[in-house]
Amino acid sequence: MATSVSFPVPGPGPAPVVGTAGLSAPVQASLWSDAWRRLRRNRMALISAVYLVILVAVALVALVHTPYSYREVGVARPYSGPSWANWLGADILGRDVLSRLMVGAQISLIVGVGTQVFVVAVGVPIGLLAGYYKGTVDSVVSFIINVFYGIPDLLVAMILLLLLGPSLNNIIIAIVATRWMDMTRLVRGQTLALREREFIEAARSSGAKPAKILFGHILPNSLGPIIVQATFGVPAAILFEAFLSFLGIGVQPPTPSWGSMAADGLAAIRIAPHMVIAPSIALSLTLMAFNFLGDGLRDALDPRQKR
Amino acid sequence: MPTPILQVKDLHTEFLTDGGVVKAVDGVSFDLYPGESIGIVGESGSGKSITALSILRLVPDPGRVVSGQVLFHDQDLLQLGGEEIREIRGRDIAMIFQDPQSSLNPVLRTGFQIDEAMLAHNKANRKQARQRTVELLRRVRIPAPETRVKDFPHQLSGGMRQRAMIAMGLANAPSILIADEPTTALDVTVQAQILELLADLNRDLGTAIVMITHNMGVVAGLCSRVLVMYAGEIVEQGPVEQIFEHPQHPYTWSLLRSIPRVDALRHERLRSIEGLAPDLLHPPAGCRFHPRCPFRVEKCFTDEPRLQEVAPDQLAACWVTMERARKEMGADDLIDIRPGAGSGLRKGELTE
Amino acid sequence: MLNRGTLIYISQRLVLIVFTVFAVSSVVFLGIHRLPGDALFNEHLHGTQYQLLLHHYGLDRPLWDQYTSFLTGLFLHGNLGESLVNRGVPITPLVLRELTVSAEVGLFALLFTIGLGMLLGVVAAIRQNTWVDYLLSTTSVIGYSMPSFVIATFLLLFFAVWLDNFTQGTFYFQIGWTGRFGTIGEIWLPAFALGFPYASIVARLTRASMLEVIRQDYIRTARAKGLRETVIMARHALRNALIPVITILGPLVIGIITGGVIIENIFGIPGLGKEFANSILNRDYNIVIGVFTMYAAMVGLANLGVDLLYVVIDPRIRY
Ligand SMILES: Nc1ncnc2c1ncn2[C@@H]1O[C@H](COP(=O)(O)OP(=O)(O)O)[C@@H](O)[C@H]1O
Ligand code: SF4
Ligand SMILES: [Mg+2]
Repeated sequence: MATSVSFPVPGPGPAPVVGTAGLSAPVQASLWSDAWRRLRRNRMALISAVYLVILVAVALVALVHTPYSYREVGVARPYSGPSWANWLGADILGRDVLSRLMVGAQISLIVGVGTQVFVVAVGVPIGLLAGYYKGTVDSVVSFIINVFYGIPDLLVAMILLLLLGPSLNNIIIAIVATRWMDMTRLVRGQTLALREREFIEAARSSGAKPAKILFGHILPNSLGPIIVQATFGVPAAILFEAFLSFLGIGVQPPTPSWGSMAADGLAAIRIAPHMVIAPSIALSLTLMAFNFLGDGLRDALDPRQKR
Repeated sequence: MPTPILQVKDLHTEFLTDGGVVKAVDGVSFDLYPGESIGIVGESGSGKSITALSILRLVPDPGRVVSGQVLFHDQDLLQLGGEEIREIRGRDIAMIFQDPQSSLNPVLRTGFQIDEAMLAHNKANRKQARQRTVELLRRVRIPAPETRVKDFPHQLSGGMRQRAMIAMGLANAPSILIADEPTTALDVTVQAQILELLADLNRDLGTAIVMITHNMGVVAGLCSRVLVMYAGEIVEQGPVEQIFEHPQHPYTWSLLRSIPRVDALRHERLRSIEGLAPDLLHPPAGCRFHPRCPFRVEKCFTDEPRLQEVAPDQLAACWVTMERARKEMGADDLIDIRPGAGSGLRKGELTE
Repeated sequence: MLNRGTLIYISQRLVLIVFTVFAVSSVVFLGIHRLPGDALFNEHLHGTQYQLLLHHYGLDRPLWDQYTSFLTGLFLHGNLGESLVNRGVPITPLVLRELTVSAEVGLFALLFTIGLGMLLGVVAAIRQNTWVDYLLSTTSVIGYSMPSFVIATFLLLFFAVWLDNFTQGTFYFQIGWTGRFGTIGEIWLPAFALGFPYASIVARLTRASMLEVIRQDYIRTARAKGLRETVIMARHALRNALIPVITILGPLVIGIITGGVIIENIFGIPGLGKEFANSILNRDYNIVIGVFTMYAAMVGLANLGVDLLYVVIDPRIRY
């Protein structure tokens, strides 16, 4: 605003800036480096990132090596507690808890990251289309989103698994089917806000095709919020899988999942508490790490909208 | 002359922001006499609201009153404890705000919000308070007050809401009413009614009024004295007619020139003064008005002028008084503050 | 408050709920009955006994026939049929009884979530940027990163195992379910486990909305009137801060319903959630359909309740 006397005048003002929206390409570069600088200052986010790197490393190592086979029965006395041979003790069948935990990390990461890949693949295009074309498309999409928000996701996923049969793929399908809305809603909102901005108007009036505008302009400018949303989506999906496996309708034995390990442990809570404590802590730490990282990313990518 | 009811002495209020210290109020002093009505005028951002809020110690974070005195009946409001200043607020000094829409709590009934003002100071029991609320609403000319008390703020029109705010301000018959741009958010016709109402209350109840506005025209009808603020400082003060006829500070002069014509009053968009309003984080050296002043001389860039008596009862802080400005720069023909008089501004300079 | 518009709105919503129940139960019914094999498939029954059972459950009739009799049973008589595993047990009274149990635990959890969440949120907002605030915002991430079953596990470990061990059994905490309704002692642990993750979310939301509210103009007006700070917070700020918090009540109810499936299993509470999980594991399709239908109705009613709560809290909203 230029000069002197100014006071609130009712009527349409400049549209509120949403997310990292509306920065042209050169500014974007500094945006990312700014974000990186802010993220590095966030101690909790940093610690979480380190933890997650270690977790991924453990999951990768488990592909080629675990202390024992996760399915080998009787490597130790059943229910025996932590020892030098079995750092986290053994379970009901005398299987090594640490080895099972490592394989469980694979499951959690596959489910967490895998669902978000599909959620992005489904949610982003639908959100872009709904936000860009508005009107009927948007009404239909918004209606469907609201219907899905109204249903108890876990219960529907349970029924889906009953229909599809339990397997890792079907678990991912069930989670994506019940949890695709957050991303779609976010991208739709971003698109709605961005499509009114000058640089999009400019692109439109210079004859750019919708596809070019959507994927060349709107998508890159929504990347920050999408990343944040996906980061929060990972722990939600991991938790979801743990719930399903805890109830016995997720990952099927002998494949270990942190959820099913916790369920096994709960049954033996009096005699072998380590069986339930180990997966519970692994799960909580992992969820926490993703949530702290998500918080950090959000604050870093959008410093104005604090918490 | 009677003794002043309120004396503000060398008030300094600062905001500690990420960018540095903003001196929103920088050495403001003035007196208010019982039953008097004064105007504080200045562009948006000149520190009027913060001055008013400092008096009642309502400055929002991260603002702090850092020095000065606010003497009310010989006690310094700035030194009072939390409970003591609470008792003054609304009972002795009441305040009404710019936007009656946002200043009333949307989830509480209007009448209750007025009752509350009395109940907070144990002035009445619930029943008496409600009776008086109805009377007050009638006093501020709200039709059918008995039913209106039960309305929620969103059920009232803008003008009615501001009347309700005024009624709230008057609830405890305060000796001072501070009105911070009470008409800015309202329609033109309603503005005039509200001003008229305030003038009546001032006359009939003897409530002293501090009228804050960016519009010189508002001051003309209501106030006997006017203070002109610029960048946190008072740059000119004196009796209203005198200031209107012989403004001694170039800023006052441009303010007068920018009084909106009656037919242009609709959205009350002021014709602006050329140049940028000062950045209070980095105020200009010397006279703060110098970057925008058409009459500046060398001294203005380096030395800050102090308020001085430039005519009987009239103070101004300017190195080059208007008298000299007229002589030297032939600006005579530009000074025409009559409503509707042609402005010397080109169209491109009309910014908001 | 209950004016004509609101009543019309409520009846419209009730019609919508009935429609939802119809749609949901139809989808589940048809989905499940298209599964290969039939519901008694697992039991390896043969001969006349099998035929008799199929006939008893109407499974020998065409799908369309089964579907219409299911719908007439449900909507005309409120009859959800009979359990496939526990033969002869009618489902409607079963789920109704379980519903009261689940609702009891769920309401406690809800009270707990909102009470604790709002208390912490308000404190964090009033003490913004002090150590209390930082502590609360950090612990709230920990809070909602703890799955309810992990919290339940640690509660069990602490109260049922360690407390018992350390006191040599002289002090122990009764966990379980003795009567039709739970006692306070039986309910508070499950309610805590169920509500805690959401309490963190409510706390965060309350904090944000309080911070938004306390810099509103009407709070300044309240101060200028000379109101006491406690009155300003309780009467002027909190009520407005509630409005955005209500928005998550819908998802919150759903979260407590789904969380109940696990918590009821852990604590052995004979509610809808336990029944649902068991029926899925046992493939007792009739109960799956019945419980899910009940859930659909509950979610619909809860959302209606939330929408009506807006009217109570925010006078600007009228239907
Ligand atoms: N919350 C705040 N944070 C930082 N600076 C502020 C804040 N509120 C006011 N200020 C500063 O105080 C100055 C005076 O504000 P104000 O008194 O509201 O002006 P006005 O004359 O329009 O009422 C502003 O120009 C601004 O620089
Ligand atoms: S002191 Fe100088 S710059 Fe300031 S108002 Fe007077 S003439 Fe202008
Ligand atoms: Mg102001």
